[in-house]
Amino acid sequence: MKKQRKSRLAFTLSSIFAFIITAMIALAPMAQADNIQQIDIYAPGRPIPIAISPLAGLPGDEISSVVTQDLDTTSVFTFLDPKGFSESPTEPFNQADWLPTQVVAVLKGTASISPEGYISATATLYDVQSGAVLFSKSYGASLGMLRSLAHDISSDVFKQLTGYAGPFKCKLSYISEKHGRKNIVIADWDAYHPKTLRFNERLLMPPKWGRNNKSLFYSAERGGAWGIYRLDIARLKESLVFYRRGTSLIGDISPSGQILFSSSYQSSPNIYIINPEGNGGYGPPLKLTHTHGINVSPALSPNGRQIAYVSDRDGSPQIYIMNTDGSNITRVTFQGDYNTAPVWSPDGKRIAFAGRAGGGQNQIFTVKPDGSDLMQLTSYGNNEDPCFSPDGSMIAFSSDRNGVKSIYIMRSNGEGQQRIKTTNGANAYGPRWSYN
Amino acid sequence: MKFFSILTLLMGLMLVASGCHKQAIAPEKAPAPAPAPAPAPAPAPTPAPAPETKTPSGEIAKVTPPSTEKVVPGIPFNDIHFDFDKYDIKSADKDTLKKLANWLSENPENKVRIEGNCDARGTREYNIALGDRRAGAARDYLVALGINTSRIETVSYGKDKPLCTETTESCYARNRRDHFVILIGTAPK
Repeated sequence: MKKQRKSRLAFTLSSIFAFIITAMIALAPMAQADNIQQIDIYAPGRPIPIAISPLAGLPGDEISSVVTQDLDTTSVFTFLDPKGFSESPTEPFNQADWLPTQVVAVLKGTASISPEGYISATATLYDVQSGAVLFSKSYGASLGMLRSLAHDISSDVFKQLTGYAGPFKCKLSYISEKHGRKNIVIADWDAYHPKTLRFNERLLMPPKWGRNNKSLFYSAERGGAWGIYRLDIARLKESLVFYRRGTSLIGDISPSGQILFSSSYQSSPNIYIINPEGNGGYGPPLKLTHTHGINVSPALSPNGRQIAYVSDRDGSPQIYIMNTDGSNITRVTFQGDYNTAPVWSPDGKRIAFAGRAGGGQNQIFTVKPDGSDLMQLTSYGNNEDPCFSPDGSMIAFSSDRNGVKSIYIMRSNGEGQQRIKTTNGANAYGPRWSYN
Repeated sequence: MKFFSILTLLMGLMLVASGCHKQAIAPEKAPAPAPAPAPAPAPAPTPAPAPETKTPSGEIAKVTPPSTEKVVPGIPFNDIHFDFDKYDIKSADKDTLKKLANWLSENPENKVRIEGNCDARGTREYNIALGDRRAGAARDYLVALGINTSRIETVSYGKDKPLCTETTESCYARNRRDHFVILIGTAPK
């Protein structure tokens, strides 16, 4: 705070000093010239300083604190302490108030609650260098949906500054396990507002979202076989997708509702695809892999043309890619002898997976689909179940690095790893963010 | 009667549940037909265009008839074990499988369920597939010894049913196993 006042003084006294400050800011990955450049969140770099002014009006503080918390979780930003603001929330934005603070952007706005309990808010993001309005929007939500309104604001700010929508508007699903009993939990993107779907099963795998976000698909062992089930989330009603003897595990659901899965119903686990039919059922399985070993965990590429999957066809589990008709198999991973659980980044440029690294523990990696540019993103504890946010900016995963299996998130370059809060005393794993 | 009162209770809960913290998965109809238990060689128990099935609401998730799950006293079959990430039968375990095959030959009215398990180091989904192959390897061995596939069930428990949870090699080794459960009087005639 003291420092900020000092630099403000410097700014007003000496334009030469101001020039030096500007030059220093320009060393950060963004903030040159007269308009804001979007932050490259894939590039490692210093966090970007911004200011979130409490929205003026009653629930304004609460909304702003959720927005700050959201944006902080991405580890892309640092936040100017509100005590250092020289402009009150009710005063209009004045560029001169903010220039000395070195923040790149300032969020201001208003909030109010109607007698009926409806929240209205406005939010305006200012570019400090140019003084320009970057966006200005109105928001509304019922009182119980305050966090969700704040997530909308966070998403707009993040999108404006980085080009990515962020995960803030997604839902998060995961498995919560206590004493071996597993339930599915659906929560906000950051694990707030958890709703437990009480399955109470021992053999239940983490769910995957249907593309319309209205259903979850998961595998469970019941009656002596692993089958694939779909849950209508609104009605909490389950239906059967695929059930035969052996082990059938859901892999992915295409935009048109095709189901990619692995099954050992004919012999050993191979990859199959089934097409939806009008009546809610599915057509006959089409077999895509044909080895006698293990083929599992199919994931459809964002352009719909390729499938990443795990196979032990060369002697140890590795990631492969094939066309959706099973042709043109290429191997992606060559480092280490245990690489599993592939997921595509939403732009199709990278595949994240869990691979065994030095020390015998599983770590999260990303790699280009052609096998180049392997990056290890985690290094503490056992880490698995990677999942991209639908905008590609973040990865959620499971880790036991603090003794209990918990959900963690990080930027998709591995920076800013942090645990998000799930139920105390229960294992949490298998996170999946819903589609936008 | 009791079932219906439970059902009514659940439906009532469901109505109240919209704002609730925990929600039970609503059973749509009687649990009986459920995802049919996997019969050994038979055609698919439930055809693909499945009707909406009952759901795992709380405690009624289990559909395996428990009465068939008795281990015959006096005939314990040892677990067989596997190397890390492997599913080939070790020579040391072939005797166990031969004994089991002999017993099945002499007791044609019974079946065996082979449960494949893995240690905690593998990743979740791959371990389910690996456990499937481990059970499948023992099944294939028994079939090669002349046992009909219709008398062998296999299931994978991945890393979800460990015998021990220490992070030691000896514990990992114990958990990489096939476990055999004799199902009395269940073999197809």
